[in-house]
Amino acid sequence: MAEDSGLPNVPVPEAEIAPKRRLPISVVWFIPLLAALAGVGVAVQQYLAEGPAIQISFRSGEGVEAGKTTIKYKDIEIGQVTGVRLSEDYTRILVTAKMEKSVEKLLGSDAKFWIVKPRVTLSGISGIGTLLSGNFIRFEPGTSRVPGREFTGLETPPAVTQDLPGREYRLRADTLGSLGVGSPVYYRRLSVGQVISSALAPDGRSVEIRIFLNAPYDKFVSSGTRFWEASGVDVTAGVDGFTVQTESFLSLVIGGIAFETPPSLEGYHPVPDNAVFLLAADRTAALSPQEGEADPYALHFDEQLRGLSVGAPVNFMGLQVGEVTGIRLEFDPATESVGTRVDIVAFPYRFLRDMKKAGPYAKKELPPGKRRELMQRQVVGKGLRAQLRSGSLLSGQLYVALDYFPDAPQAMIDWSGKPPRFPTVPGETTVLRATLSSILAKIDNVPITEIGKETKEAIASLDRTLRLLEGETLPEAKKSFATLDRTLSRVDSEIVPEARKALEELRRASAAAERALKDADEMLLAPDAAGRQELLDALRETARAAQAVRLLADSLERNPSAVIRGRKPEKPR
Amino acid sequence: MTRPPPTAALAGFVSCGTCGLLCRPAEAGKPGECPRCGEPLAFRLPESIERTWAYVVAAAVCYLPANLLPVMTTTTIKATTESTILSGVIHFYTTGSWFLALIVLVASVIIPLGKLGALAYLLVTVMRRSTGRPLERARLFRMLKAIGRWSMLDVFVVMFVVALVRFEPFMSVVPGPGVPFFAAVVILTILAADAFDPRLIWDPAGKTGGTGG
Repeated sequence: MAEDSGLPNVPVPEAEIAPKRRLPISVVWFIPLLAALAGVGVAVQQYLAEGPAIQISFRSGEGVEAGKTTIKYKDIEIGQVTGVRLSEDYTRILVTAKMEKSVEKLLGSDAKFWIVKPRVTLSGISGIGTLLSGNFIRFEPGTSRVPGREFTGLETPPAVTQDLPGREYRLRADTLGSLGVGSPVYYRRLSVGQVISSALAPDGRSVEIRIFLNAPYDKFVSSGTRFWEASGVDVTAGVDGFTVQTESFLSLVIGGIAFETPPSLEGYHPVPDNAVFLLAADRTAALSPQEGEADPYALHFDEQLRGLSVGAPVNFMGLQVGEVTGIRLEFDPATESVGTRVDIVAFPYRFLRDMKKAGPYAKKELPPGKRRELMQRQVVGKGLRAQLRSGSLLSGQLYVALDYFPDAPQAMIDWSGKPPRFPTVPGETTVLRATLSSILAKIDNVPITEIGKETKEAIASLDRTLRLLEGETLPEAKKSFATLDRTLSRVDSEIVPEARKALEELRRASAAAERALKDADEMLLAPDAAGRQELLDALRETARAAQAVRLLADSLERNPSAVIRGRKPEKPR
Repeated sequence: MTRPPPTAALAGFVSCGTCGLLCRPAEAGKPGECPRCGEPLAFRLPESIERTWAYVVAAAVCYLPANLLPVMTTTTIKATTESTILSGVIHFYTTGSWFLALIVLVASVIIPLGKLGALAYLLVTVMRRSTGRPLERARLFRMLKAIGRWSMLDVFVVMFVVALVRFEPFMSVVPGPGVPFFAAVVILTILAADAFDPRLIWDPAGKTGGTGG
């Protein structure tokens, strides 16, 4: 065999045998078994760790990217978007996401999802991570125990995240102003909340702003709380110079809302969540009494309306309680005549707020029926009437004054009219004019001519008498004295009371004029004002009349014999 | 029929795998131990085919998770991304680095798979005592052995990246669970190649009673 193999014939050592225990299968098969076990173990682990897959639909998938966008809850990543695609009808974006196993129980059917966009405002950057990672989807668990896998994403973030204590309120404003989502809400210059959202009211006539106040500051909101926009600078010029007020520099730039409860309205009436408040333009407006509803009334004046304009104030004791909303002609079918009609609105709460506070209406909105009753009582019982008054002699502007005229004839509000008809009294200028003309008429009526004629006769007769007296008898003189006596008594009984009456009228006219002037209070007289001209004319007439009377009185006083002898140039004696 | 080429087994000798001593086997079935160094003697590597099969199966089992599980978890401020080998390939390809993509694809996907396939082929042919193309098969085996030591490249790359990219909290890279599986595939294929006795390829050609099994 050695030769066969061609090996050199060398001594080849013999191998030794050691006893060996052999297994039926090679141990090496443990290795694939181990590998399989490891693989299966990892697979099982992966499977168990696998969270639920969900689908969320959004109107827009702004910034949502598969594999990048995360789903966060309390700023912790709890899922990741795995796919973004259009819905079948191409109207929405369907986002599929894989959630973590641990949040499976939170995925109730009413869970909320919304896209958080990075927001950089002057008040702060909301998460620098947001800037880099782009938008993410925020998750807010619902209360439902029914598990959900398909959700509809919210377009705007929900008002309140459940874990944040506080309350939400709604504010109604004319315009949004410079407010935006995130604008701070101040209470005593402390930032206590923020604007959550803003939207146009359904009727398009106002803007509804939702704010959220963090607990515990929400408890400072009660039914008497006033909100105002703190965005602007409030510059007030007063006796002590200029005062500039603003909530903070920040609110100046990004807008803000402040609120306060006036001390007079304190008393804690808690308001429900979502209570609606009015948002005033500034603090002054907010803290001034609220107008509540406006009651329209119609006024009918039998006088010139020149100088009355739409928007003119309706005053009560010098305070504005309403305004003129319309002036027009109106045909009255009953009398077949054209008259004027002035429409006003009055804010009855300015009258009735305190009435409401006291008595049975406290804490309750006054029902319209009760308000009518109260208004009627004011009108009928106390003589409340509307009157046209001259607001300014300068411009001839008129305004409507509500005032008490206890002497005015009884009148009722005509509730049948639409709007109700409010009783009026003639304006002061009308009264003044009427008084002045009656004075002039009375002066006219003084029988100066007759007095003069009779005086002349008397003088002639006296002359004759004197002549007779010179040469003739005493009886003549006696007769003549009797005539003089008669004449003088006539002067006594006719001229003096007449003159006194005239003076009295004059005094009253002056008083009326003075009142009219007082109404014009701070106004300066301008030469071209219509009312002024009329008044000046009237005054001039009065002055002339007064002068005539004074002359008469003067000459009578200085020279009573003028009654007898007539007016002669006085000769020095 | 030509004479078969002489081999030690054919001559009735067995050589020690460790010290190279040529011995006479104690018995035909049980060669015994080397009288010089005590190494167990065998005409062919003991249980070569069975052990190779075992390693191949184990490697194949590990190959699946190695490719499905992420090998790298990259955390940046922006996001956390887990990348598997294939997603890396796709990433390179879509970003334009097709050459890199090709390298990774070849090194990490095709070569391990090719090794498994080649080993299986060799095993099947040896078991069937096939006599065809022994030279090519021998070359294939040499290639498997040669590639083996370079196959850990991916694992090393991952380890280097993990070690180097640590700018926490801005960025960090953490090896994923795919890495040990990938390493297992590499190690198991190397072990499989080691367990395979290339002499088995030639045995059928020599028609000798080589007792490889």
